[in-house]
Amino acid sequence: MLEVRGVSAGYQGNDVVHDVSFNVDDGEAVMIIGSNGAGKTTLFRTMCGLLPSSAGEVSFQGNDLTGMATHQLVRLGLGFVPAERHLFPRMTVKEHLALGAYPSRPDSDTMNVVLDVFPRLAERRSQRAGTMSGGEQQMLAMARALMARPRLLVLDEPTTGLAPKLAHEAYEALDTMRREGLTILVAEQQVPLAMAFSDRGYVLEDGVISIEGTSEALAADPRVRSAYLGIA
Amino acid sequence: MTASILDGIVLGFQFGLLAAGLTLVYGLGGVLHLAYGQMAVISAMVVLYTLDAGVPVVPAVGIGLIAGGLLGLILDLTILRPVYRLQGEARVLLSLLLTLGVAFVVDGFLNWRYPLVGLSLHVGGGPVDLLGVPMRRGSLVASGITLASFLMLFGFLRGTALGRAVRSVIEDEEGARLVGIDPRRMLRIILVMSGLLAAIVAVTRSMVAPVTVTAGFSITVFALIVTVVGGLGSVSGALLAGIILGVVNSIAASYIGTFLSLIILLAAAALTIVLRPAGLLGVRE
Repeated sequence: MLEVRGVSAGYQGNDVVHDVSFNVDDGEAVMIIGSNGAGKTTLFRTMCGLLPSSAGEVSFQGNDLTGMATHQLVRLGLGFVPAERHLFPRMTVKEHLALGAYPSRPDSDTMNVVLDVFPRLAERRSQRAGTMSGGEQQMLAMARALMARPRLLVLDEPTTGLAPKLAHEAYEALDTMRREGLTILVAEQQVPLAMAFSDRGYVLEDGVISIEGTSEALAADPRVRSAYLGIA
Repeated sequence: MTASILDGIVLGFQFGLLAAGLTLVYGLGGVLHLAYGQMAVISAMVVLYTLDAGVPVVPAVGIGLIAGGLLGLILDLTILRPVYRLQGEARVLLSLLLTLGVAFVVDGFLNWRYPLVGLSLHVGGGPVDLLGVPMRRGSLVASGITLASFLMLFGFLRGTALGRAVRSVIEDEEGARLVGIDPRRMLRIILVMSGLLAAIVAVTRSMVAPVTVTAGFSITVFALIVTVVGGLGSVSGALLAGIILGVVNSIAASYIGTFLSLIILLAAAALTIVLRPAGLLGVRE
């Protein structure tokens, strides 16, 4: 479904990510783990057309995404939830959900499915995003992306700034969406959560993919255990 | 006193509508549009010469409004193209320089080709009594049109999917991209709307006082002051600031003197910025 081949990217000519290749198949849950500054955000922003790449190509369901604008990717079925969420502070939950479906009218079936996954948002339909807690904002960012009925949902560190209980809830919501048939790619620093959730994973270190494998294999790998799971 | 306040409110509606156009263009695209007053003046001149050609007043005003919208579109397609390639502060500065250039060229051309020309629309009938003050019919019609325009603007921004998309770009441009909105297209729509608003202000203003070819820069300056006080990117802030500054201006003009009213207006604006740096209803970054 998603194929990233030899992508290098960065800021002002200094590449942060070097020759990265990975793929996500239909129906899979894939994680990219790595510490702070490993290049996860740069990689995702490049993939989603928010940063130009200096080499390589990205294809999604047979479409070449290189050089395509972000708003076009969304219409192809690629939803992106950035770590900073980028919500609209003075707009209500309801308005976010309606905008999520843009340019179509928000259809009530999708709305009901999304609100079933995030019941707390249903209670707060008229609340403005700027007045919500971090956990609620993360739920809203995911719900907004889901309103476009994406085929693939890409999430950059969905647990940033969340208390452990809320981080858990975020992954429970992702699990629910996965059972509905959504393909998910997630970048995460909170490795145990992502590992329990995903089928496969890649380890990104200093902008290079160093290890890859199924989640079980990664959980058993001594390098991953010492660096990301805190087990000696 | 009542008379000054009522006059101030009439002026304030126009200030507010003027600032609404500027504040939307800045809030949405980071473009500081300094040829804004010239757009109003050109629209007024189009109405004037359409009337001279024997066209009745309502269609003539309609043609003036279309001209205003077209001017916005032309700016978007020509001079603002290089501006959109830049981001942040560089974009603000280049837009400021280029639109200022357009303003000078338009002003120079109009002064050379059409000196001493002005548009005055006369609304017939005697004065109407309002709270014991005889108000000119022109002022009331002008305020009615301005208020109706405001309601339509609010209706568009709050009640339509396109208006919601426009607001989302003002709130968070990257967030807007992520839901499939092309910010560049929204900016084009808003530039056309700002031209339309400038034309509406020119037409309603001409019902109260003549709009002359030299009025461009003072219109832009008033719009800028009101925009800053109201808060960049806030249409309701523009309306509120417009009414407050309109009343301040009118009271200052009748009790202190017209020559000082602009200075008092600037002082009021400076005071607002000191007390509330983001403006009355602006977003705090």
